[in-house]
Amino acid sequence: MNQADLVKPGRFLDPKVLARISDLELLARTVVDGFVSGLHRSPYLGHSMDFAEHRGYAPGDDIRRLDWRVYARTDRYYVKEFEADSNADFTLVLDVSRSMSFGSEGLTKLDYARILAACLAYFARAQRDRVGFAAFDTELVSYVPPSAKHLPAVLHAIDRLAAGRPGQLAGPLLQVAEASRRRGLVVLVSDLYQDPEVVLAAVSSLGRRRSDVIVFHVLDPAEVHFPYDAAQPFEDLESGERMSVVPEAIREEYRRLVEAHVASLRRLLGESRIDYTLLETSQPLDLALFAYLTWRQRLDRVR
Amino acid sequence: MGLAFLTPAFLLGLFAVAVPVLVHLVQRQRRDAVPFPSLMFLQRIPIRETRRRRVRHPLLLAARCLGVLLLAVAFARPLLPDATRVATPLAGAREVVLLLDRSYSMGHGDRWPRALMAARQVIDGLGEEDHASLLAFGGTVEEVVASTSDRARLRGALEAVRLGAGPTRYAPALKAAQERLQATPRPRHEVVLVSDFQKVGWQDEGPEDLRLPEATTFNPVDVAGSDFDNTAVAGVVLGREYASGRERITVSARLVHKGRALRRDLAVSLEMDGRAVETRTLTLEPNASATVAFGPVALPPATTRASVRAAVDALPQDDAFHFLIAPGREVSVLVLEAGGARPQASLFVRRALEIGDRPRFRVEVKPLGALRAEDLASRAAVVLNDTALPPATAGHLLRSFVERGGGLLAALGDRGGAGAGAFWSPSAPIDRGEGSGGTLAFLDYTHPVFEAFKGPRGGDFTSARFLRYRGLKDESSWRILARFDDGTVALAEQPLGRGRLMVWTATLDTLWSDLPLKPVFLPFVHQLMKHVAAYAPPPPWREVGQVLDVAEEASSGDGPAAEVRVVMPSGRTLRVPASGEGRFLTLEEAGFFELRRGAEPTGRPVAVNVDVRESDLSVLNHEEVAAALTRGPEGRERRATVDRDATPEESQSRQAWSWRLLVLALALLTTEAWVANRLSRVGSVGQPNEGAAP
Repeated sequence: MNQADLVKPGRFLDPKVLARISDLELLARTVVDGFVSGLHRSPYLGHSMDFAEHRGYAPGDDIRRLDWRVYARTDRYYVKEFEADSNADFTLVLDVSRSMSFGSEGLTKLDYARILAACLAYFARAQRDRVGFAAFDTELVSYVPPSAKHLPAVLHAIDRLAAGRPGQLAGPLLQVAEASRRRGLVVLVSDLYQDPEVVLAAVSSLGRRRSDVIVFHVLDPAEVHFPYDAAQPFEDLESGERMSVVPEAIREEYRRLVEAHVASLRRLLGESRIDYTLLETSQPLDLALFAYLTWRQRLDRVR
Repeated sequence: MGLAFLTPAFLLGLFAVAVPVLVHLVQRQRRDAVPFPSLMFLQRIPIRETRRRRVRHPLLLAARCLGVLLLAVAFARPLLPDATRVATPLAGAREVVLLLDRSYSMGHGDRWPRALMAARQVIDGLGEEDHASLLAFGGTVEEVVASTSDRARLRGALEAVRLGAGPTRYAPALKAAQERLQATPRPRHEVVLVSDFQKVGWQDEGPEDLRLPEATTFNPVDVAGSDFDNTAVAGVVLGREYASGRERITVSARLVHKGRALRRDLAVSLEMDGRAVETRTLTLEPNASATVAFGPVALPPATTRASVRAAVDALPQDDAFHFLIAPGREVSVLVLEAGGARPQASLFVRRALEIGDRPRFRVEVKPLGALRAEDLASRAAVVLNDTALPPATAGHLLRSFVERGGGLLAALGDRGGAGAGAFWSPSAPIDRGEGSGGTLAFLDYTHPVFEAFKGPRGGDFTSARFLRYRGLKDESSWRILARFDDGTVALAEQPLGRGRLMVWTATLDTLWSDLPLKPVFLPFVHQLMKHVAAYAPPPPWREVGQVLDVAEEASSGDGPAAEVRVVMPSGRTLRVPASGEGRFLTLEEAGFFELRRGAEPTGRPVAVNVDVRESDLSVLNHEEVAAALTRGPEGRERRATVDRDATPEESQSRQAWSWRLLVLALALLTTEAWVANRLSRVGSVGQPNEGAAP
């Protein structure tokens, strides 16, 4: 059963509707609770301090994990097992370059990324992960180190985000990687307007400390499908450069280049064991949340 | 004849056809740019330049190029070969109609001598087989010489033509020419119009309403020159006033100056009986008018000839304005009451008539029984105020008075129904006192009595309440001018001999109605008496071209004259019969006419002035006139027929192909712009649209 079968498309709230909720925490809780309640099976059980099971004591077990109450009732030694409680770092890295302010249908990529980041942060914190946050354009513009108590600070930082300057990946991501001291999960949300090789080099720096990296490639539908008809100049949001274009003539070529770019990213990042997910801002958030849960599942197997 | 251009230099504009193409190729997008996250992929597509050069709407590009091409050709003024020229006979005898403008504006400067010279040249240019007719025109057309080939006769008749005092009217002259050309057997037709081409000559009928027959050559000869400055005395206003029991008159003259020059220290004089009474000077700005007010003048006892003269300029005919000053004519009214009438029976009508001086009414009240024949002498009107119908003697006197031209107004009251109905048959009194009374419900506003009240707030007759009134038994022989709300006649009129008889079926005091207490009463009584007395002050001046009934003008109390001698301003004398159709005289000169009865040494003056509209010397382009007159029946430009030897420039000015091309180009470009705009509005997905670049 794949992820798409578990949660039907459209189950969660539309991102455009979510964008109207100003309280990020409320928004994240709404999305995450709705997402969790939709899970009927348990392969994606969350990790917490919740009790899992008892098993008989075996030599070598840590006696601190003996359940003395059960011993008092049964006069036998049982070890209390809990769900994994990794306290892993969960760092959200958000691209706030000028290109992220683009939105063809009201919802900008940055709005979508902000909602996504808030949901992931809330979800991660619900899984007892230490939540951290970084935002960048050409340099790091905001950084909240991972901590079990930093969820409010992270949500606040996300709330204050505004796209401004042109962006680049290498420098800021290297800074984030250097600031990270523990193994964990780094989630990069960006539109990745750089060559796949450059993206790979930049993203790879995040995995230096054996952290897992998930890349959410956020694009507007207009960037993917290029639905323009009329001949008109197009202006690069970051460089301000203009270019006269007859969309009708270049649409297919454009789409082919975008598809090639995405395919190249998927291939290169996959080869580096980096999860890559393409998100269009018209899509619900479940794909992103599933990507996170998949990683947590992998982490479970490690415990 | 091949295609030629009058201004071929404009054909260089054909190179401008390349402009739309170049604009398409090198145009910069001036519309708002579409913000896009990154041009990374767009810049990798190597089709930018070539794709932009693709023509998406070739018809639009073609329309733009064609529009530019048409503009260039239109400005080059093409001279197209004239297909109809072939149809025009180039040989054979000519029928020439020579139209000579003799309106008084032709007296400006040396226009008239030049016109005569031009006419002579036309006559001299006639061939042996050519025929010509000479028509002189102003306000009317006079055939001086019918179609003839006798050039000597034409020359002699031309020398006899004198400058007139009438205005210019081209239409009758051209229609006369048209009729003569249609009747001629000669193959070649030509109209020669010698004129100053005043614009006012087309006021009633423009050249576009006229059309000369096919194959007619129109040859305008413009003698207007370049001097159009003219000052005219356009009219006078006479103000009357009474001071110390004497009537005085104040003359104000209006002067109009047309032209670009400043008219400094212009002397304007008021003359009475040929003697300058007062002279004033003024300065007239270019194209301006001014009013000169002369001091009040005591009216002489007899009719006086007066003129306002301005210093003579190039057009002397309109530098003087003539008029007559006559003492105000009094209207003598005799009010006849019944014996033993109420003391105030005639109070209201007498007091109402005593107020006002336009005209002044002289009212005398007498009992009917005291009426004598001499009481009616020099009376204009008699009012029978609530009296019985006149007894035989008085009735005979009154009937005779009315038949001689006097007016009789009967106001019916309690006594108005007594006696035999010699003049009218009143009905018994109708009592409306029980309700709110009767009102006037119908007024004939087309009648002179009520015409003054037909305007808004012109007088409220409906507020008057009538408690009693009579009617007329025999309405059919009367013209009903007013009725009460129950349909009963209130005012009726009937002609009797040369005079008129009117009946008011209520009293003129407050016994039967409150009309005398209403504001409308005074003007009503004035209008009524003016009409009954046939009051019509003679006009102080007339205009050239008007027709005068000489017999009526020269008549006096002694009866009509057998013959009237008319002494004209030029000094000529005409004998006009005082009866029959011949008694009408067309006024063709400006100045003072004098109408003398029989062998009288002096007569009654009549002041005549020129039509001041003719003083405006603005001209109409005679080439436009030619183009309009020679237009084909379908509106097609027939040919450049103005002059057989016309240069290409002159011929070109008479055709309209350039204008047609211009209009076509503008229409094409406008349509192209509209279509392009429509195409540009074909929306793209969620984005502002771009103009449909071809």
